[in-house]
Amino acid sequence: MAAEALLEVRNLSVCFDTGDGPVYAVNGLDLEVRRGEVLGMVGESGSGKSQSWLAVMGLLAKNGRAEGSARLGGEEILNLPQRALRRLRGDRMAMIFQDPMTAMNPFLTVGRQMTEVLECHRGLSRREARARCVAALESVHIGDAARRLSMYPHEFSGGMRQRVMIATALLTEPQLLICDEPTTALDVTVQAQILALLDELRQRYRTAIVLITHDLGVIAQLADRVTVMYAGRQVEQAEVHTLYGAYRHPYTEGLLRSVPRLDQPRSERLATIPGRPPDLARRPAGCPFEPRCAYVTEICRQRMPPLVSLGDAHLRACHYDGALGRAEIGA
Amino acid sequence: MSEPALLEVRDLDVHFPVRRPGLLRSPLTLRAVDQVSFDVRPGEVLGVVGESGCGKSTLSRALLRLIPVTAGSVRLRGVELTTLEKAALRPLRRSMQMIFQDPLASLDPRMTVGEIIAEPLKALLPRMDRAERQQRVLRMMQQVGLLPAQINRYPHEFSGGQAQRIGIARALVVAPELVVCDEPVSALDVSIKSQVINLLLDLRAEHGLTYIFVAHDLATVRHIADRVMVLYMGRVMEITDRDALYARPLHPYTRLLLSAVPIPDPTLARQRRAAPAREELPSPLALPSGCAFRTRCPLADARCVAERPILREIDGRYVACHHAEAAGA
Repeated sequence: MAAEALLEVRNLSVCFDTGDGPVYAVNGLDLEVRRGEVLGMVGESGSGKSQSWLAVMGLLAKNGRAEGSARLGGEEILNLPQRALRRLRGDRMAMIFQDPMTAMNPFLTVGRQMTEVLECHRGLSRREARARCVAALESVHIGDAARRLSMYPHEFSGGMRQRVMIATALLTEPQLLICDEPTTALDVTVQAQILALLDELRQRYRTAIVLITHDLGVIAQLADRVTVMYAGRQVEQAEVHTLYGAYRHPYTEGLLRSVPRLDQPRSERLATIPGRPPDLARRPAGCPFEPRCAYVTEICRQRMPPLVSLGDAHLRACHYDGALGRAEIGA
Repeated sequence: MSEPALLEVRDLDVHFPVRRPGLLRSPLTLRAVDQVSFDVRPGEVLGVVGESGCGKSTLSRALLRLIPVTAGSVRLRGVELTTLEKAALRPLRRSMQMIFQDPLASLDPRMTVGEIIAEPLKALLPRMDRAERQQRVLRMMQQVGLLPAQINRYPHEFSGGQAQRIGIARALVVAPELVVCDEPVSALDVSIKSQVINLLLDLRAEHGLTYIFVAHDLATVRHIADRVMVLYMGRVMEITDRDALYARPLHPYTRLLLSAVPIPDPTLARQRRAAPAREELPSPLALPSGCAFRTRCPLADARCVAERPILREIDGRYVACHHAEAAGA
């Protein structure tokens, strides 16, 4: 861990009060994000991958509570008062979402929404702000930028809207950019361009990027390190080549083997992970993946495996110590 | 194409009028499906791929007459569907069913699982008695991996993957020949997606089904389809056997799509360059002259501007491109 940590998250838990009692979306998350790196966060719906970062940003729903610690440049930011958070967001960290249309105001021009950021956070005049916004749109390769500023969000294509969101997020040169499924709603051709853009921006500005996605292909293209989440817990974390080439958790194995992929010969049947996604309202004593795991032993039902280091910055939470390779084919 | 086709589609057009602001301006025409022709052979899976807005969902709905057809012909076992009266169409509905993308949105929240699966039986086989209907529903539930005990549950009690199983049971309970699957696994999680794909393949083998499998994910389509049709701006760009298409795509658009699919291997993913094509799609209301793809195509020349390429046969494959020979080389 030579590189400097920009953000340190320690023992972060997120809990929602619901009609059926408390639901734990995230349990004891521990990780760092370093300057200039892309940290991939992969998991399925309900894995807690988004809620972790909404908690860090102070954007949880009203019935949500976050516990633990998140330090940005050494300063505690978890559960700060809204005013302080608002200053932090859009200034030192920013977040973009899957559907840019819902994150934009349909009644305001793109220019109005972008200049507002600079007027609020940087105290720039309207005219100065406008010039900066034109430059920002150009930096995400939107041509004819000055004219585009007077257009409304619906006049842009999905890919262009996501570019505008990225440009807006980068106006204040944040140290940390959190991208929640930034390309999930886009066509593959546009996705490839947005990923290339994110890569270019992190190299140019040394912005740290957290890339939240369910898509292992997207992570493979951009991430330096990867954390795999299941049922609100980190199950494995490693440098990207280690994770894809030498994974040690049965869930990671299941995910990687059940994706149809073009770089390998076609198989008659897809490998699957049997069973169903976990019910978060139930908190089992043991490993949450145990009901679906091909390597389950007695201890898995009794005790939650801790996240332990396998050396070389490779962490995993699993009791099973033998060889993998038994993921179910065609269940 | 010696085998008689189960479904024959010829020169199919689906146009929508789009009103423009202003009192006297005439509406524009959106050609969502434009001169589309293809066959579906009995027992095969025809994959239909393309970006959003390419007309793949409109096409699937038009085939089932869920939306009106503007012109052209759709024949199921030789019977013309486009001109049939509603009442005459009804018996044919048994032969053609559809599975939708969003499993929860396509199930009536006020009906139990049993009622949902029984509904097409009631509508299409009204003379079937209650006991037999119940038997069929239970058998179908078992085949898609639902438990008999779940028959009185409501859709919201199910996860996305389970809800899609209900949607599949509802489509298959009337024993159709042809099932149009419109992005049936796109909304599902990775670990559930592969379960549902395997289920669709099992059911096809058991019941001798024919699928039209519409999806934007080319890796999934490679897994399930025997042949693949590539659409762009409502037009067919290429129709080819699966292995040939993925090994050597002849149309520049097919190549563009394939080159953009992310590969879950960090070493390979980083070796590839991002797709160089321009992002901006033409407006579907003002398509370019000649070839619809020419504004994004690296091979485009004067001929592509002047002349719309027709779908022509090259080595047993069908491609609509003036430069197909060069592209495939």
